Amino acid sequence: MLRLVATRFALGLLTLLAVSVLIFICTQILPGDVASAVLGQQATPESLKVFRAELGLDKPAYLRYLEWFLGVLHGNFGKSLTNGRIIIDELAPRFINTLFLASYAAVIAVPFAVGLGILSAIREGRLTDRLANILTLVAISVPEFFVAYLLIIVFSIKLAWFPSLATVNSDMGLGTRVFVAFLPALTLTLVVMAHMLRMTRNSVLSIMSTPYIEMAFLKGLTRSRVVAWHALPNALGPIVSVVALNLAYLVVGVVVVENVFVYPGVGQYMVDAVAKRDVPVIQACGLVFAGVFVTLNTVADILAMLANPRLRRRR
Amino acid sequence: MDHSNDKRGSGLIVDRRELMTGAAALGLGFSASGARAADAPKKGGTLRLGMEGGSASDSLDPRTYADSIPISYGWQLWNGLVEIGPDNNPVGELAESWEAKPGAKEWIFNIRKGVPFTSGKILDADDVIYSLNMHRGETKSGAKDLMAGISDIKKLGSHQILITLSSADAGLPSIFADYHILIVPNNFTDWSKPDGTGAFELVTFEPGVRVVTKRKKGDYWKKDRGFFEGVELRYIPDAAARVQALISGQIDAANRLDAKTVSLVMKAPTVNVVRTKGTGNRFAWVALCDTDPYQSNDMRLALKYGIDRQKIIDNVYKGFATMGNDNTVAPSQKYFAKDVPQRPYDPDKAAFHFKKAGMANAKIELQVSEGAFSGATDCAVLYQEAMKKAGIELDVKRVSGDGYWSNVWLKAPFCAVYWGGRPSADNQLAQTFLSTANWNDTHWKRPAFDKLLLEARAELDDAKRGQLYAECQKMISEDGGMICFAIGDYLDGYSKKVMGATPHPHYDMCDQRIAEKGWFA
Repeated sequence: MLRLVATRFALGLLTLLAVSVLIFICTQILPGDVASAVLGQQATPESLKVFRAELGLDKPAYLRYLEWFLGVLHGNFGKSLTNGRIIIDELAPRFINTLFLASYAAVIAVPFAVGLGILSAIREGRLTDRLANILTLVAISVPEFFVAYLLIIVFSIKLAWFPSLATVNSDMGLGTRVFVAFLPALTLTLVVMAHMLRMTRNSVLSIMSTPYIEMAFLKGLTRSRVVAWHALPNALGPIVSVVALNLAYLVVGVVVVENVFVYPGVGQYMVDAVAKRDVPVIQACGLVFAGVFVTLNTVADILAMLANPRLRRRR
Repeated sequence: MDHSNDKRGSGLIVDRRELMTGAAALGLGFSASGARAADAPKKGGTLRLGMEGGSASDSLDPRTYADSIPISYGWQLWNGLVEIGPDNNPVGELAESWEAKPGAKEWIFNIRKGVPFTSGKILDADDVIYSLNMHRGETKSGAKDLMAGISDIKKLGSHQILITLSSADAGLPSIFADYHILIVPNNFTDWSKPDGTGAFELVTFEPGVRVVTKRKKGDYWKKDRGFFEGVELRYIPDAAARVQALISGQIDAANRLDAKTVSLVMKAPTVNVVRTKGTGNRFAWVALCDTDPYQSNDMRLALKYGIDRQKIIDNVYKGFATMGNDNTVAPSQKYFAKDVPQRPYDPDKAAFHFKKAGMANAKIELQVSEGAFSGATDCAVLYQEAMKKAGIELDVKRVSGDGYWSNVWLKAPFCAVYWGGRPSADNQLAQTFLSTANWNDTHWKRPAFDKLLLEARAELDDAKRGQLYAECQKMISEDGGMICFAIGDYLDGYSKKVMGATPHPHYDMCDQRIAEKGWFA
């Protein structure tokens, strides 16, 4: 087991390295550079030259990558090219915000989705099952910014219960944060619920058609007991991995929701950096996102193995 | 009933909000809050601004400013030498007075005495010289071109400087109203700890999220400004989010209201809308005059007659724009050529000139992008329809907004562009139409025009100067490669509590100085 975790970890590091190289190459392919992006329409050839020299952009690309890479090995993500601010100082609070929002949404969404999924499986074909399915499908079919605007209209304009601006900042206590970020968390919950719910329901149901479940029924057990104690443990693998995927989405894919609610997360930071060709910032955000993905997937794999002894055995 | 339509009528409807927009339309610089300006301004309160026009990559270094949010915090923390007054004339800010020597090649500026920086240092001539030099010579500054005419800056006394120009310019003071040119202490380099003479000092700078400032202790050196206790400027790039936040009272002011929804915003009981007519962005197509098929002036005239400006304004800008007359000087600007007739939409004339150009098979391809300005694609499609009536085939090609300014603009033979307002008609013309201009995006190079503009610059007689500038605009309108079809209105939203918010001929949000100009009722 330990060995397996170690290989996973090493593979994860390799993935991160590959991601950083890929991102760097992509930013080089993108037309324009940070100097022309910052100065935009007001750029002149002379001012561009001065700006580039100031940033060291006149050096060859591979040298810049190596310099950056050495910095990262020393835990130094460098400074933003556009405004000279230290990236880690800018990124850390935003990353915490992103994690906060993701966990907030996850704390609501995961128990609900898995719970309702199991319930749907127990009551397959009945009203609860249909209703849960239809409602979550509606929520996922509507674009997330639209869900966001609907929630704003109802909860922030009509009822005036929650603010539409979710700009959290370091001066806020946990209570205020939870209050301010409620609408974005609810939006995200609605967006990720359907996937997890349906996966839970279907993987439980697919187990239900196996002979050992039939045996359990023949023993005279109730349907709910069969689902919870016999079917669920074997269905956990796919459920865990779909939950992990959705958690990763909550961290890396929420830029639209951030934008609508003006939530200061990593997404908007990265989009701004891409627009301005601020390569070190893009790299740092990319690494963080890739790191989250790799970690969550590794954890999901390990959990799935813990739940299902068959996966642990070597072939 | 329908506010959005009669607003463009007489402008004398006695609804307060209508009065506001109506008065702005009449150019009276008068608004509901202005009407109550007799009430003495009160101190206190934190102004919460929600603005578009900035990003996480914003810096405090004024040389890199290019959008509304940096301009706003720049003028909270610092001052310029000169600002543009409500009548469009330059007014002294940190410069107390100035005077041109005969010939307008040498200028003496007297610096205001006893103005403190946040650090306690008192402003003197060295600070001003250092600050101006930041934008001259080897620099990344966006004001480099504006300052290119200055050949030397000399200190005459502790509070007096002499500026020598390479050629005469009677409009020099307006240049110093540019938002890049902020006055910092001598040898100042650490932009993370801004030290300015503005009403506010920095508390938190989180670019892309918020910028918080607080009123400095003691009296502000401007007696009639700086009433808010502090300012919290939030980045709200989403127009809908901005409006919701304003209506629900989470912010006190918002910039760049969406023309499509502004009539709904006006109905909100807690909100005032300030409309500044025809001072916003100049929306245009630019054709390269040295590239076929646009080398022929008949072709260019066909392009100009073939656009239905009113239709674009009505449909894309919902009436919140003024017709452009094929150059970038706006009717709200001093020296705008009133006598040059507005070019109409005339498909027959377009067809006539197109035929005369003799390039019936020429491919006319217009490259547009939402990255040039929002609504560009819609404008282009309407243009395409209008040209069809003249029997001219126009291809519209949508290109990526990403990298638009470095890859398409100045390179594509026919493409979309917007130009922001500049402090004076001279800056406005010089930056785009002089043969030597870096941003001559039509490649329109006419020595006669260059000569005329320099002549106007050197002319100290205001009336004659106006005539010369009018002549310049006429030349561009008749011969140039720019089809400037609309000049946008600025639409700001304010909570009714915010006083002192009036339209300004220079920029929106009270010339981006609402933080120091306004107060709470």
